Amino acid sequence: MKHLMPITLRVNGEIHELLVPPWRTLLEVLREMIGLTGAKRSCQEGQCGACSVLVDGKSVNSCLYLAVEAQDKDICTVEGLMREGVLDQIQKSFVQKGAIQCGFCTPGFVVATTSLLNENPEPSEDEIRHAMVGHLCRCTGYVQIVEAIQDAAGQLKQQRGG
Amino acid sequence: MTYLRRLPKFEYLAPRTIAEACDLLAAYHDRAELLAGGTDLLMQMRRRETTPAYLIGLKGVTELSGVRKLDDGNVFIGAMTTLHTILSSPVLRSHYDVLAKAAAGIGGPELRNVATVGGNIAGALPCADLPPALMTLGAKVRLASSSGERILPLEDFFPSFGVTAARPDELLTGIELPSVPLSSGGIYLKFHDRQSMDMTTVGVSAFVTLEQDGGSFRDVKIAVASGAPVPLRLRKAEAVLCGRTFAEEALEEAALAVCEEANPRSSWRATRDYRFALLKNLTKRAIRGARENAASRTGDLS
Amino acid sequence: MNSPVRNTFDVVGQPTPKKDGIPKACGQAEYADDLSMPGMLHGKLLRSPHAHARIVRIDTTRAKALPGVRAVITGADFPGVRYGNLPQTRDYLPLALDVVRYIGEEVAAVAAVDEDTAEEALDLIDVEYEPLPAVFDPDEAMKPGAPLVHDKVANNISAKTAFEFGKVDEAFTHADYVREDVYETQPVKQGMLEPHACIGLWDATGKVSLWSCKMSPYVVWRQLAMGLGLELRNVRVVQTVVGGGFSGGKQEAMPMDFCAVMLSKKTGRPVKIVHTMDEVLTIGHMRHPMKIWLRTATDKSGRILAQHCRMVANGGAYSSIGGFSMYLAGAMLNIPYRIPNLRYEAYRVYTNNGFCGALRGHTNTQICFARDCQLELIAVDLGIDPIDIRHRNALQPGDVTANGFRIGTFAFDECIDRVVQLSGWREKRGRLPKYRGIGFGCGSHISGARLMGHSASAAEIRIQEDGTVHLTTGSTDVGQGADTVLSMIAAEVLGVSVDDVRYIRVDSDSTPVDPGTFGSRVTFFTGNAVKRAAEDARRQLAMIAAERLGANPDDLVFRNREIVNRHDDRQRISLKEAVRWGAFQTGRLIISHGTYAAGDEKIDFRTGHGNLSPAYNPSACAVEVEVDPDTGQVKIVGFWGADDSGFPINPMGVKGQVIGATVMSFGHALFETLIRIDGKVMNPSFRDYKMPLMTDIPRLANFRHDNVITFEPEGPFGAKEAGQGAGTGVIAALANAIYDATGVRLNCLPMSPDRILFALRQKEESAGAPSEVAAE
Repeated sequence: MKHLMPITLRVNGEIHELLVPPWRTLLEVLREMIGLTGAKRSCQEGQCGACSVLVDGKSVNSCLYLAVEAQDKDICTVEGLMREGVLDQIQKSFVQKGAIQCGFCTPGFVVATTSLLNENPEPSEDEIRHAMVGHLCRCTGYVQIVEAIQDAAGQLKQQRGG
Repeated sequence: MTYLRRLPKFEYLAPRTIAEACDLLAAYHDRAELLAGGTDLLMQMRRRETTPAYLIGLKGVTELSGVRKLDDGNVFIGAMTTLHTILSSPVLRSHYDVLAKAAAGIGGPELRNVATVGGNIAGALPCADLPPALMTLGAKVRLASSSGERILPLEDFFPSFGVTAARPDELLTGIELPSVPLSSGGIYLKFHDRQSMDMTTVGVSAFVTLEQDGGSFRDVKIAVASGAPVPLRLRKAEAVLCGRTFAEEALEEAALAVCEEANPRSSWRATRDYRFALLKNLTKRAIRGARENAASRTGDLS
Repeated sequence: MNSPVRNTFDVVGQPTPKKDGIPKACGQAEYADDLSMPGMLHGKLLRSPHAHARIVRIDTTRAKALPGVRAVITGADFPGVRYGNLPQTRDYLPLALDVVRYIGEEVAAVAAVDEDTAEEALDLIDVEYEPLPAVFDPDEAMKPGAPLVHDKVANNISAKTAFEFGKVDEAFTHADYVREDVYETQPVKQGMLEPHACIGLWDATGKVSLWSCKMSPYVVWRQLAMGLGLELRNVRVVQTVVGGGFSGGKQEAMPMDFCAVMLSKKTGRPVKIVHTMDEVLTIGHMRHPMKIWLRTATDKSGRILAQHCRMVANGGAYSSIGGFSMYLAGAMLNIPYRIPNLRYEAYRVYTNNGFCGALRGHTNTQICFARDCQLELIAVDLGIDPIDIRHRNALQPGDVTANGFRIGTFAFDECIDRVVQLSGWREKRGRLPKYRGIGFGCGSHISGARLMGHSASAAEIRIQEDGTVHLTTGSTDVGQGADTVLSMIAAEVLGVSVDDVRYIRVDSDSTPVDPGTFGSRVTFFTGNAVKRAAEDARRQLAMIAAERLGANPDDLVFRNREIVNRHDDRQRISLKEAVRWGAFQTGRLIISHGTYAAGDEKIDFRTGHGNLSPAYNPSACAVEVEVDPDTGQVKIVGFWGADDSGFPINPMGVKGQVIGATVMSFGHALFETLIRIDGKVMNPSFRDYKMPLMTDIPRLANFRHDNVITFEPEGPFGAKEAGQGAGTGVIAALANAIYDATGVRLNCLPMSPDRILFALRQKEESAGAPSEVAAE
């Protein structure tokens, strides 16, 4: 009765043809079948954001998303942001602004920031804070994370010639 | 007692249309759960509170998503419309902003990108935020099954704790909102410890329609979350204010009426006493706020 | 060879991004759960549903028969040797043997082909329990006739500490003013995002290896050896990237570590075990909830003459590091204020709850809360300005406290003044609108401790022929930035860039033994060891370069990856060339080491006398809040803090640490508590164990922290701790701010909205008089 389902996942632009049990979450498939361990297993309840990935450009908690429902969607994980060994601006800003301590929350924040800045390239401080409420950080106290996001927005604006 | 586990085994069914979904429900309803956004159901399954043999996934039923204006001026919101779509919909923001704002206050972006209005209603949790806001807007639920369709007022949809009035073979397809009168406005206020994300300790929604003179209430609707075992409309409090001039004593009376009608529970999350205190204070604030919103509305709402 | 004294530094003092930031930002950092090994099995732990019960029988037959299960173990599979954190209180077992003492205690473990199967197998382990009477409240537990959590431990007293310095009774008798208050604190958890995770391997040679996110790998190494009945040489602990620690389970060997390794022995495969977050929030390793009676005597001007503190801590079911925790709370009463006469009694009590140990700030945090709340009230009663009373009592550099702490650098007055200035205190205090208030709080911390047992750190340096400095220590980076700070110290001494230094993670097979990361010891203790190792390497290299250049080694300066004769800069050689020449031409490799123990003084833990730390930090802060009188909700609208962390080696890292500690204290003050009913944790989830989010902190423009810079001669480049002291004054500051805003005094943590609302209501009903929410 309970059988594996064939699905095709498009992750960071790569196609993966997989046979998955329907009860596997997107997080589990990414980590355990595809080998992308950037998204983390933390609270597994949608409270901490450490498992966030982009699905069709929107940040979702992959721990509460069935892998079989990710068929035909564009999935982007933190690993997909780097290009040929070069960090993207958001990643650079996080590194340079002291936004990373233990780093466990970092992939989630970076992914969520990617979504935020795509939708709202010049967010106010309040908009940043509200966009990040789904992400817990216990190490930094958030200040340097906000500063990193502001820095990334500023740098990207400059690079656009804005 | 069990700690969080991997999801239990199930079979996944993926209907493409409402009709297909209804057929599946008819066949499997005693062994299946409907999977909307998944943010509540998957958690319950992880805790082994429910272990359905089948999940009927609705994400592929595109006709269940979206906000549409109907010919009669009403607005229809498909059950699978995400909270994100609701809070950003121009139609909802301009005319039904109590709903848009209530949706915007639920969880965080990751949750809102996936959680649906249907899930928020059909879950029948007393702490759900959208039912009170929707009740004050006069919402009706549309239900479909392989034997047909029916519509009920939302306040009749919650007969008792954790249960909805939907039959086992019925699918909640969406919410119908009547057009809003002139000079009306609403607000949903919810309380929680932190500034964001928390489960609602108590939530009060108020939607008022003002008389031409702006000084008295032609109509008042009040509903609460976590104020009773079900999302509840508080008609006694509404009756106190209907037709009355806005004044502090009226608010005070209404707040007391709310406490008479509401029946919040004591739990380790919050005591009954505290919830009553919140209900009182938030009711007054909500009515004030709704009135302000109503007063600032101008002219044509088509 | 003397190094020339320089006032400016090339590396230390510069804000430097964390060395491992790049892999972390790219999702490439390897945390324990990210690791996989061929043939690896997955383990799960079975936990007791009873708060106190005898284990009558365990039948694993059905579990073993489940397809996919490879092994099931119980306490009987271990040698039965108890291990622990302190030699006198070894009461941990890998898995419970005859008795379970709290809900959640580990009873059995399964290894299976996947987690789903392991979980299913747990349901098939049949355990017959005989429930025993349980006790949850420490006062109840101390009464005669209370159920005993541990046989033969009378009255459930886990630890008793008492000390007295000076003439306390006399001081109280002659005091102008005496005040007594009771404070209560709650159980809180570390709340790190990475749950405990490990992979255990018992290989064919009988050697045990554990990969895990440990803050003190060598503590784990010793405990594993002891609990498994093995020689240390047969145990290897490898530190994975740590996703946050704050002490607790990551500080020591946990049942999961023992089980992973034993299951590996049974199956011949590596076994991975990962806790779910509700397991993390259910098990022990939390901050001691305390009831603190504090009686303080002062003169008319508010100068403290004496303090008497009696404290009862709810220790939970096991000892953990509790004996030391009790000593520390009393010891920390001695700073940052001058307390000439002090009496302290503390009881740590066993109850059938999860056990308590260290958590950022350790037991200092609770003491600072009580003390600085009371100080505010003393100031009110005596009509003294709250800032003045702190200045009046502030310890000064050169002081020796009643219990023998020798205060070196201690810019407490400056910290206070800096906060007054930054926060706009004088303009705001007494002038804010109703329900808005500003409060002050102070605290302090140590820079590492001279512990009983092993306190020393060591560092090893090898310089490669490309000029890379390989730095090895036994201390762990757990996110706090030790990797970067220690690399910066080495880089500064050797005149290279921080990127030239390679800092590796701890592996007990190849790094020097070390107590690990806790008690704010790493920058100070390990930093000094690193500095000594680097200075030795520099000495060796100077000899080689001197030979090569025909110069005097004392004249050589190391800067910009070069070695230059300061009297004639034509005599120069690149660092890497010097290394190559030394290796290839003279057969000399640059290998050095350094150690630091601060062992010159001894603490008498019985009397409580002795200079616990080589250096102490004061901290001060002010918080501005807005209280919603309709709901009791507190919004933190401004925070200004200042600490004396000596010379900040990495200001970027210091900022992250002090703000992190501050925000953690926000949580402890306002939202966080483990709600336990009859020993059951009701809220083991981040949904209900509420930690601060980005929207709970003040806007950045109103969230400031300053370093008051001093130069601590004992610390490497003048540095002291940063990362625990900063949080210690915050809770009292919040309590004092709420008091300022509402007239309501809360003595019980957390200061949750319902408590505030009811206190406000009580106040209104007894119109006028400020109300106090007494300890419940």
